[in-house]
Amino acid sequence: MNDLDPGSAQIDAPRHMITLRSSEFRKGREEAWRKLETIIEQVERRGQSKLSADDLQSLPLLYRTVASSLSVARAIALDRNLILYLENLALRAYFVAYGPGVGIVECLGWFLRTGFPRAVRSCRWHILVSFLAILAGCIAGFALVKSNEEWFSALVPQALSGGRSMASTAADLRDHEIFAPWPGFTEAFVVFANFLFRHNATIGIMTFGLGIAGGVPTLVLLAYQGLTLGAFAALHDSRGLLVDFFGWVTIHGVTEIGAIVLCGAGGLVIAEKILFPNEYTRIENLALNGKVAAYLAGGAVLMLFVAGLIEGGLRQLVDMTAARFAIGTLTGALWLWYFMSGREEKADGLPS
Amino acid sequence: MVSRLDRVNKFLEGVKRNKREITTPEGVNLEVDIANHGERLTAFALDFLFWMLATILLFLGLGLLLIQKVNGAVSVTIILFLTFLLRNLYFIHFELTARGSTPGKRIVGLRVMDRFGGPLTAGAIVARNLTREVEVFLPLSLLLQLPVTSGQGSWMTLAYLGWILLIAAMPLFNRDHMRAGDFIAGTIVISVPRRALLGDLVGTKMGYAFSRKQLEAYGAFELQVLEELLRRPDSEQTRALQQDVRAKICRKIGWTDEVPAHETFAFLTAFYSAERDHLEREQLFGNFRADKTSGVSRET
Repeated sequence: MNDLDPGSAQIDAPRHMITLRSSEFRKGREEAWRKLETIIEQVERRGQSKLSADDLQSLPLLYRTVASSLSVARAIALDRNLILYLENLALRAYFVAYGPGVGIVECLGWFLRTGFPRAVRSCRWHILVSFLAILAGCIAGFALVKSNEEWFSALVPQALSGGRSMASTAADLRDHEIFAPWPGFTEAFVVFANFLFRHNATIGIMTFGLGIAGGVPTLVLLAYQGLTLGAFAALHDSRGLLVDFFGWVTIHGVTEIGAIVLCGAGGLVIAEKILFPNEYTRIENLALNGKVAAYLAGGAVLMLFVAGLIEGGLRQLVDMTAARFAIGTLTGALWLWYFMSGREEKADGLPS
Repeated sequence: MVSRLDRVNKFLEGVKRNKREITTPEGVNLEVDIANHGERLTAFALDFLFWMLATILLFLGLGLLLIQKVNGAVSVTIILFLTFLLRNLYFIHFELTARGSTPGKRIVGLRVMDRFGGPLTAGAIVARNLTREVEVFLPLSLLLQLPVTSGQGSWMTLAYLGWILLIAAMPLFNRDHMRAGDFIAGTIVISVPRRALLGDLVGTKMGYAFSRKQLEAYGAFELQVLEELLRRPDSEQTRALQQDVRAKICRKIGWTDEVPAHETFAFLTAFYSAERDHLEREQLFGNFRADKTSGVSRET
């Protein structure tokens, strides 16, 4: 078989002088490789901005040289160290060439100015569904407790009801809950805001995370949140406090329920990408389109902080229903304005 | 093509790693090593430590201010908010400016990259870190705040603990060791050790000459194992091993001349050069030989 190989006749004799093609190849390029390695080391240690103009300019050229050297080396060389080195160098150069190239300030600025509002706008259907789930739960809860108040203790867990039950009288509800006296800065902000934040954050996490399970658990959890709200509303309605109750809820609820709706929408986005992958695999589809879900959840966590501060502090500070409505409407309008903002920027201030 | 080195890498380095091939925008195929669980845990623990230190420093400064004003009580919401801000700034900042590696990752030699080989976008970095918030930190902070005494509290503790464990276990169940944030952002975490270019072993002057028949005894795998042996730092053990290998080669190729012990390295280098010359030449003609047992494989 070997006799068929071209050139086998000449090589058959033992040879005393050797010139390897791969060695020659290496001698010719090594300088460029070493140069690229030095530049990359500099970037890895001190960052791209510290590079000299010359180095910066030669970077793409050297990167391409190394990339082509790697292809050649794979084809002609059997020197393992050489191939591993070139692979490693090409990979490190790739990171320099295709790094994000923006700083934290621009990045977070972009997220707050454009990324978060745009994510909200692009997911309006998910948000609508998420909102409808809460609304449906709310109506059901209201109807149930209206028909029979015993439902209240079944629907609302002890820890959440905060002393309110079917035994509460109108005066109880009014004086201790809706218009409870201002307990002082530390008490209100620290203890209560903290408790509420914890509760809301849990709900947010669960609705978002359960998106992996196909979205149905997300909707159920959202509806359950609505159910509790509806139950409260019915309890207060029977005692003629419905308007005051809504004032009590609105002041922070716009922000808080908004955040939970967004978390739910994020969960629904994930569920959708997993359930309906189109031409991609499910995982690919999630990777390509899932970032928006993370933006929703991250933004929602920020909103929860705001809601926690409003709920724990501002609500007790403002004890008139009309003023509460005004503040609630104002926060709603502000959020709406915020979500509608950041439109004018070019599609890619930063790639999303 | 790339996978030709797989077997010898595994043989010589001993670690079995999951690999993934990516294609850079220039069309170069690069094989990357998926970071393993231990590395990622170490990197995360280091980052966690750095972040805690930064947070403690921040609160030492802040605490002194607050104690005078708010009568000793520290606002938990403000603490939560600041730690939230700080850790997100920490992770996002370093992954942005240090090209996908936080200090912890850098120490361990890890990097975040786009799963499909494209540019790592700022959007992906924000996404994977915001998801970390929901994955790990929120449940963790909720867990730590819970009162352990009450009956309901312990159920909640269990639930949070379960959630954290479930999420933490996620990288165990997929080939690329992705956590939830990686799924959503389309990223993977890879291990990029630094490799140095060592000298070329091939010498031009040949003290020994081998016939074609003798060189046909081996393939690329043996050649690269021999390469590793020749690159080892000189020691008693290395020398003994080289003696062994020399004897084995001599037996295999029917080398009858006596090779003095001090000539072992020179002999092996000469054999390596001749063998590599032979195999590379054959490879150029399209006859790649993987190892001594395989026949000549013709490439199409």
